[in-house]
Amino acid sequence: MRLSVQMALKGATAGAALFAALPVSAGEFDGITLQAKLIGGQQYEALYARIAEWEADTGATVEVISKKNHFELDKEFKSDLAAGTLGWCVGSNHSSFASQYPSLYTDLTPYLTPEFIAEYVPSNVAASKIGDALVMLPRAQFDVSALYYLKSLYEDEGNQSAFKAEYGYDLAPPDTWDQYKDQAIFFTDAPNFYGTQYAGKDEAIVGRFYEMVIAEGGQLFNDDWSPAFNSDAGKRALSWFVDLYKAGAVPPGTTSYLWDDLGQGFASGTIALNLDWPGWAGFFNGEDSSKAAGDVGVIVQPQGSAGIRTGWSGHHGFSVTESCDHKDAAASLVAFLTNEDSQKLESSAGPLPTRTAVWDHVVEQSSSDPYRSEVLVAFQQAATHAFPAPQTPYWIEATNVIFPELQAAILGDKTVDEALETAAEAVDEMMQENGVY
Amino acid sequence: MSRLKLPQWFVLLLPAIIILSAVVLIPLLLSLYSSFTPYRLTRPETLYKWIGTFNYEKAITNANFWAAFGRTVLLLTIALNVEMLLGLGLALLVNRVTWGQRGLRTLMMFPMMFSPVLVGFQFKFIFNDNVGLVNNALQSLGFSDVAIPWLVDANLAMFSIIFAEVWTSTSVFAILILAGLFAIPRDPLEAAKVDGCTPWQTFRHITLPYLMPFIYIALAIRSLDVARAYDIVQIMTNGGPARRTELIWTMIGRTGYVDAKMGYANAMGYISIFLAIFFTIYFFKKLNAARTELGMGG
Repeated sequence: MRLSVQMALKGATAGAALFAALPVSAGEFDGITLQAKLIGGQQYEALYARIAEWEADTGATVEVISKKNHFELDKEFKSDLAAGTLGWCVGSNHSSFASQYPSLYTDLTPYLTPEFIAEYVPSNVAASKIGDALVMLPRAQFDVSALYYLKSLYEDEGNQSAFKAEYGYDLAPPDTWDQYKDQAIFFTDAPNFYGTQYAGKDEAIVGRFYEMVIAEGGQLFNDDWSPAFNSDAGKRALSWFVDLYKAGAVPPGTTSYLWDDLGQGFASGTIALNLDWPGWAGFFNGEDSSKAAGDVGVIVQPQGSAGIRTGWSGHHGFSVTESCDHKDAAASLVAFLTNEDSQKLESSAGPLPTRTAVWDHVVEQSSSDPYRSEVLVAFQQAATHAFPAPQTPYWIEATNVIFPELQAAILGDKTVDEALETAAEAVDEMMQENGVY
Repeated sequence: MSRLKLPQWFVLLLPAIIILSAVVLIPLLLSLYSSFTPYRLTRPETLYKWIGTFNYEKAITNANFWAAFGRTVLLLTIALNVEMLLGLGLALLVNRVTWGQRGLRTLMMFPMMFSPVLVGFQFKFIFNDNVGLVNNALQSLGFSDVAIPWLVDANLAMFSIIFAEVWTSTSVFAILILAGLFAIPRDPLEAAKVDGCTPWQTFRHITLPYLMPFIYIALAIRSLDVARAYDIVQIMTNGGPARRTELIWTMIGRTGYVDAKMGYANAMGYISIFLAIFFTIYFFKKLNAARTELGMGG
């Protein structure tokens, strides 16, 4: 066994080693010490406790030299790049940050078998790449939004007949964003009850706009990173937000809402439809935390006019540095930390997995709890439509240029055309100034 | 070998010079230098690229920058005047209180004791359109049946911010003016009474001139405070929505720390410092004029 693994390792540079897909053999990496910079927090400790198992199996030692949140790690990685202090091997990564350091991490493909990579959800693997390089392996810390709704509104016969009479089709949880808009307007009874709400500022609204542009068949950026959202798809996407605001189907303060405001809003039982993250599922249905408890339904997020579902997502992962002296050992550790057992362990506490088999496992585990089961099925479907934030280091800077213009259109200070044109010009100028093209 | 002998005065001043250079002069020069570079926090090498006055030209030709500048001046003008009038009124009232004045003075200073960040959160909640105190009160009392978007509407959002600023800082004026009232000599007031002046005439021609130096000191201090208004606005609206409440410092803060464009942010900072310098010079000139009028020397 050991010999075959070593031979496979030697073949790694040729393109296909097997070790990560296979159980590692004892003493495989004897005497090697890997330095790691990992995301810190109580919720991640259970997984890190497994590192000792890998050490025992392989004979290698892992020295965790930094444990911080992603924003702090991000700064540290940037300082390391600037100072050239890149002696460490394994780092926590995030799909929303990864594009900022394209040269820091190595392509993991040569160290893994195609079969092993295929065990992850394909959309998560796609989101873990920069170009063709697989720069991280996704762990069971995945975020995508699905649709939460109040079930009682749809079960009400009065609502059903009134809706059918007004809109000409049956009232059911929406499968398209147009239906969503109709229903949000229909359910609104301001100022006490609103059809929906959306994040209205900062990166949050640009993220929501971004996924809507995709769902409408457009792109936020062209391949050269010039802005592409001042298009018909972009206009349709922005009009969706504008129409809901004009119709009064969202709280008037929605342009200042962020995730916490949205979560509290839906939990207050005064919002009918809410596109939101998986982390809220328990809160929304908790007797102590939510007035909507017992009335919450969850389905996959609707699709736009191009037949594509929204799916702006993010996930945590582990990467191996380009400068690491023992990339094979580091890749083995990364594979171990995201393998089936590791993901089962992490997802048992609630976070969503990124491996197909683990998804099936958690759905099966929750079969005795109908709500948890409904949530997991919805998010499992949602995950198959997921795509990451645009992978440019200037994403956040672009969102800061775009969001005031989106707000201006929503609030009626500018038309949709004017707002998108101004935003596109500003992004174009920003990209050129940064020397992107 | 002769030892280098430094003049004694220089040696004595050296610790102060070193400390001041380290904490003030060098950062100031560095930030001035960086405003002539495309310095980005995330790309340290950009600090060494000279781009001349590009950042300044960009700021000066940026309509959003001037809109934020104008809004800052507007906020400054309204907030200072309202605070001054309310502070004056409050001080005059407290000055007439004969029993429990100390307790009242302490009570009056309460808003000053809160961190501006907390004041921001407090008013963000109070003015929230959905669950906020103001809207709930208006709706419960039957004055309104709609959710008034206090932090969204262009005028109401500025009003809400000014309200928060006034709430937290009126007492600065009140305390300083009260100190002024205590310092007024009794003789001219009694002489006015003997000469048959009305209370308004006494206030207009005796009390107010005596108070003016105190008012200008308070105005100078608060103008610097408001001109760099950041925390309350950052928390309540973050300059939004759609830049409706964007002030110079929320804009500079976002450019420097979120977009990491420190060179450009510093250029905008240096332009806006002129605003603060202008108001300071203006109020100090007024202060000196007021002191001259009282025969206290210019």
